[in-house]
Amino acid sequence: MRRYETIIIINPDTSADDRGVILEKITTLITKHTGFLVSTDEWGDKNLAYQIKKKTRGYYILFDYCGAGELVTALERAFKFDERVLKYMTVLLGKDIDLDSIKEEISKKEAEAAELEKETSDDSKTEEIIAKAPKSEHDNKE
Amino acid sequence: MPFPQRKQTSNSKFGNKRNTKFAHKKRKIYQSRRGCIFCKDSGKMPNYKDPKLLRAFITERGKIIPKRITGTCAKHQRLLAHEIKRARTIALLPYVGTLDYM
Repeated sequence: MRRYETIIIINPDTSADDRGVILEKITTLITKHTGFLVSTDEWGDKNLAYQIKKKTRGYYILFDYCGAGELVTALERAFKFDERVLKYMTVLLGKDIDLDSIKEEISKKEAEAAELEKETSDDSKTEEIIAKAPKSEHDNKE
Repeated sequence: MPFPQRKQTSNSKFGNKRNTKFAHKKRKIYQSRRGCIFCKDSGKMPNYKDPKLLRAFITERGKIIPKRITGTCAKHQRLLAHEIKRARTIALLPYVGTLDYM
């Protein structure tokens, strides 16, 4: 199994629903070809360095997945026939990859993110306490 | 009567002066760095998803700057060129930049 990364540029005039349809198509294709979707990242509306189909802006979506070569050809075929997709590019990230190790990595990352959230919430609490403390002193002096 | 030879207006002196002036200007544009910035920072690697970093290694017309000017090592320059080409295909960097690209 190989790990790939595909980046697509969607016509900026398409609605959010249409974008959802494209993403659904991607996920169904990946599951159909026994692949595994690692992550999706929506960069949003960006300026293009040059015009593509007379458009100066584009909506970027990046997704990271594992699968065989057939999956890539199927995905690229789908993008080719979809008029909303302006351009796409697939990059090979690694050959002979264990799915279990990737799943472990994802769970680890999620745990770290949860911890970070906890810490930030704690920090905000302490900040609140600090913010409150001098006020009370001030009140006492008065 | 032979043609009067032109007086050489201390060519070497004048030429040198000009060259130094020119070299100074060139240096000012690119600000040649000593050492590869990717080797200095082990966590940093050229990546096509980071066009802001790659912008430092192309001219304002979009050409890749040679490593003798940027100071990048051979290994990283190879990777860098590949990543710049990737960024070009997905419209993050221009193939041909315009003068008013900045």
